[in-house]
Amino acid sequence: MTESKTLTGGALLFEVLEEHGVKHVFGYPGGAIMPIYDALYDSNVKHFLCRHEQGAAFSAVGYARAAGTVGVCLATSGPGATNLITGLADALADSIPVVAITGQVPTAAMGSDAFQEIDIFGLSLACTKHSFQVTDIDDLERVLYQAFEIALEGRQGPVLVDIPKDIQLAEVTERFDKLSHLQNKVQLPLADINQALELLNKAKQPILYVGGGVGMANAVEEVRDFAEKTGMPSVSTLKGLGSINPDNENYLGMLGMHGTKTANIAVQESDLLVVVGARFDDRVTGKLDEFAPNAKVIHFDIDTAEINKRRAADVAILGDLKANLPSLVTDLNIAAWQQKLQQMSRDFAWRYDHPGENIFAPAVLKTISDLMPSNTCVTTDVGQHQMWAAQHMSFDDPSNFLTSAGMGTMGFGLPAAIGAQISRPHDTVIAVSGDGSVMMNVQELATIKRYQVPVKVVLIDNAKLGMVRQWQDLFFDGRLSQTDLSDNPDFVMLATAFDIKARMITKKSEVNAAVEEMLDHDGPYFLQVKIDAAENVWPLVPPNTANDQMMEGV
Amino acid sequence: MKPITLNKYQLIIMADDKQVVLERILQVTRYRGFLINGINAEVNTGNNEATITMSVSSERPITLLVDQINKLIDIKGVKVDNSRL
Ligand SMILES: Cc1ncc(C[n+]2csc(CCOP(=O)(O)OP(=O)(O)O)c2C)c(N)n1
Ligand SMILES: [Mg+2]
Repeated sequence: MTESKTLTGGALLFEVLEEHGVKHVFGYPGGAIMPIYDALYDSNVKHFLCRHEQGAAFSAVGYARAAGTVGVCLATSGPGATNLITGLADALADSIPVVAITGQVPTAAMGSDAFQEIDIFGLSLACTKHSFQVTDIDDLERVLYQAFEIALEGRQGPVLVDIPKDIQLAEVTERFDKLSHLQNKVQLPLADINQALELLNKAKQPILYVGGGVGMANAVEEVRDFAEKTGMPSVSTLKGLGSINPDNENYLGMLGMHGTKTANIAVQESDLLVVVGARFDDRVTGKLDEFAPNAKVIHFDIDTAEINKRRAADVAILGDLKANLPSLVTDLNIAAWQQKLQQMSRDFAWRYDHPGENIFAPAVLKTISDLMPSNTCVTTDVGQHQMWAAQHMSFDDPSNFLTSAGMGTMGFGLPAAIGAQISRPHDTVIAVSGDGSVMMNVQELATIKRYQVPVKVVLIDNAKLGMVRQWQDLFFDGRLSQTDLSDNPDFVMLATAFDIKARMITKKSEVNAAVEEMLDHDGPYFLQVKIDAAENVWPLVPPNTANDQMMEGV
Repeated sequence: MKPITLNKYQLIIMADDKQVVLERILQVTRYRGFLINGINAEVNTGNNEATITMSVSSERPITLLVDQINKLIDIKGVKVDNSRL
């Protein structure tokens, strides 16, 4: 009798991962996922042990965003699974393809309040694009195929697959026919390109409003080509940064709450918005009723539900941006508009002359941006440092600026940088973090230590939850509430405890040498940059205000 | 306070018969700001297709909800049919 090797659910998982080209996964083991961790032994997939499941989820997000692929994370049932949720919510808000695998208690125990049982399937409904719970071993392979397909199809997003322990152990008897793929059920209506061209030709003050969808659609080249051939002035959302070539003379920078003055004024005065992969987020529009009040809208998106959601479109062009945008390239007669905005850009250019010896965060970030090698990937956490990075650093591709845009999740930066670095081992990866945010996933320094991930951490340390402090000063009469962090740990000692080379700087004169030392260093590096706690992010559009009514610093 | 006018709509949703599909529809409907006034769900065991009739009200346009329900993976189609209201 010949012995045919049996295939378990756990082994099948890694087979399917390998078939999808997955080389790296991030996770944390536990009781209900032990058969999968056992099968890991015999697979070619490399597993990175993170030190918290949230770290695993964010590393998967960073991996996916930096490499333009699917990120995979694993967690056990109960608390392991719930710890993934913030990362999944983040991936949903920013449309990031992630496949999360959770262990579940055995099917016979499900629904009995078993040890470490939580209804993660139920919890997943609001924080994933789609989710599955596998209760029959012969469904597992099809479900895993679908999970990858759904994560990548159309508007990308996170998919969770919950696998009970007995299914992980069970023997696969029926294989799934890989040719019977999912069908894209959404039939997109044909766009009226002629109507769009008509709007374009009539426009005297058009603006190209670039969002995160451009990178997701792999359409950076097409968008740059459109911007250059038409000469249309462009603005970008937080997630769209890097899509437009920063050297394009008609590029005006980021729009919205902390956007450039020129970008916001230009949008308010525009008579046509060509919206590519963006969704009129409230942080972008300010007071919606007063956003670009005289503009017609041509809206390109892959997601039907974004059309007319917050702003009515005069022409909607649904589907693949890469295929659709080139048909709109046309000659525009907008020299006066271009010149006016170019002049405004010069008049309102960022200034880095800052009195005194204290370090000026925008200037440090500008220095790093100027000195970092091309194709450096920068991640951020959330707060003032995030906005300064968005304002003062330049990126040559959206996959080189990873920030938690839709969800604004503190704790994103460090684990996302780890994921990014693992997906792109030959590129420099810098995490710009804050003294509040870094503590939210500080345990991931142990992941850096274990795998010697050469991430550079730049900690903008104001000893405050700076962004909240800024709002308390501006909008709550300076009644500071729970935003002081003056008893922070000794960060240099902390990093050193994880064998990470670390240095603190406090004066302007130290900046250049420290940045060079960091960039030249072979392994991980932690640069603590002390700044004045009173610095604010400018300009600022106050909440529920039109974007041309910006507050500016003195 | 300005008075809110709620519009009523009736939706007919065709879906794959999955245990979770009703939960997904309820979650999206609540989250997108629609009140459910009545719901009826039936499964055709022949083709494993579920038909869900739901009457909802909201001050928001119904297209917002239709587009979001349509995005759910297990949904085959959504129609607004106010004839039976
Ligand atoms: C998980 C999470 N909790 C709370 C917030 C609210 N929040 C936004 S910015 C911020 C302060 C961040 O402080 P820090 O990381 O030091 O950055 P800074 O603004 O000082 O540069 C807080 C608390 C958030 N965005 N995410
Ligand atoms: Mg801070």
